[in-house]
Amino acid sequence: MSRPRVSGLFVYTILVFAFLFAPIALVVLFSFNKTAALTFPFHGFSLRWYRAVLNSPLYRDAIVASLRVAVITVVVVVVVGTLAGIGVTRYDFRGRGIVRLFLLFPGALPGLFVGIALLSFFVQTKVTLSLWTVTVGHFVYVLPYFFLVVTSRLQRFDYVLEEAARDLGAGPWATLRRVTLPLIAPSLIAGALVVFSLSWDEVFITFFTIGAQNTLPLVIYSTVKQSVDPSVNAISTLLLAGSLVFVLSVRRLVVDLQQ
Amino acid sequence: MTAAAAASGQLGSINLGARRRRRIAVVLLVGPALLVVGGALLVPALNLLVQSFMESSGYGQITYHFTFSNYTAALQDPVYRKVAWHSFGLGALAALICVAAGYPAAYFITFRLRRGRNLALFLVVVSLFTSYLVRLYAWYTILGGHGIVNTALIRLGVVSHPLLFLLFSRTAVLIAFVNVFLPYSVLMLTSSMQNIRPDVLENARDLGAGPLRTFSRIVLPLSMTGAIGAFAYTFILTSGDYITPSLLGGTSSTSLANIVSDEFVALGNRPAGAAISFVMLTVFFLVYLGLTRLDRFKGF
Repeated sequence: MSRPRVSGLFVYTILVFAFLFAPIALVVLFSFNKTAALTFPFHGFSLRWYRAVLNSPLYRDAIVASLRVAVITVVVVVVVGTLAGIGVTRYDFRGRGIVRLFLLFPGALPGLFVGIALLSFFVQTKVTLSLWTVTVGHFVYVLPYFFLVVTSRLQRFDYVLEEAARDLGAGPWATLRRVTLPLIAPSLIAGALVVFSLSWDEVFITFFTIGAQNTLPLVIYSTVKQSVDPSVNAISTLLLAGSLVFVLSVRRLVVDLQQ
Repeated sequence: MTAAAAASGQLGSINLGARRRRRIAVVLLVGPALLVVGGALLVPALNLLVQSFMESSGYGQITYHFTFSNYTAALQDPVYRKVAWHSFGLGALAALICVAAGYPAAYFITFRLRRGRNLALFLVVVSLFTSYLVRLYAWYTILGGHGIVNTALIRLGVVSHPLLFLLFSRTAVLIAFVNVFLPYSVLMLTSSMQNIRPDVLENARDLGAGPLRTFSRIVLPLSMTGAIGAFAYTFILTSGDYITPSLLGGTSSTSLANIVSDEFVALGNRPAGAAISFVMLTVFFLVYLGLTRLDRFKGF
């Protein structure tokens, strides 16, 4: 009696996954198409769109710009976010709850709001829009995610280990460097990879804070707005690969830790 | 001064030193983050709030003269109103579809899968991290005049000319919204369903409750937090989105966010855009408040 219902749910869930992944699979598939057609039949395998992308200075510059923004964002967020995470979980001080809320809240704001707030602030303070203003926007956007990863790891942390280190004569700095940081390092790396993917894909805040130099998502956005160009399939696949490599390596990291 | 008093005085100053050192440590640890978020978000947000009460005087120019006119315009302009209903309506519809469509999948992953559960959840997370923009572009090519849907329809003889209304329509925007936000729903629903003990479901079945009754009386109320979170998240991010409507919506579905973006970038009227965006934030906040009241829902 309950058999058919179970398989009904199973089929439904498979369909959900198909709906989620099929559009992307098509983009990846047609990025290797020999002709410019965006539909079946598939005309054979070719790397011509990738060559077109890599030979185009527009795309190459955009890849470099995106990498630059993402790397700087990651470095700053990891340093600032880790310090704040340690402060909020290891020290009991007045206003701790408010500090935590203040650092997490920006994650609930729509990108539109953050984007226009920054744009009008930059315009008013006569800051020229550039990749630096984009980086500031990305920092505000990704910090909550990283802060969440770090604080949840620190809360699951065995405090006894830190106390033992202190009892054995280690100062706060030595305890941090020799005990706390090595133990939370895998979470820091995982958080850094998530931050990289978020920044690499970001388009909402970037749209408002971008100057003369475009990031990869912005180039894709403006290309698609103008016309359908098959090389967008190839550049989209590269964008996808960039963010997925990082998420997949987090998975590897988790598997490694469990063993 | 006795020896004891001297000793306690010394102890006090040691304590004071330790406290001061702790305070310095807190400032050094938390300070940078507060400074950056304060400078890069709080100050710009307050600045935006102030601007929303100022007068615009030509492209990009602001006269610092207090006025409510931006808000009265934002609330009374019939064009804004119409677009606002469209945006919030489409967002609510997308959120409703995401939650409703997410439930069966989350139920299956939580209660029917054992070994495959981690893999299924991993796939959901992977789909979260596949670029938003690439997915929009994918739908752009699928629904376009020479896209897969039209080619298939023509080849099957259903239509003789490509259906051009597929792309650049509210339907296209809705499909893309559901595609992008469904994984969040599945994830949030799964995580709140994990708190339901499977034997409770078995008991319900043993006591004669059918699958629908078990769902509406047990699963739904106990996973309400996840449903509320998923609905609020999807509603806020879809009705505040401007990238999807501008790529897939064409002229048929200007969104509120596009109006804000146009006021800022194309028309250079920042006070007007700021006022509309604060009205939007207020609506989001009120919707969220209303939704949290549903948390006490006890089933039909």
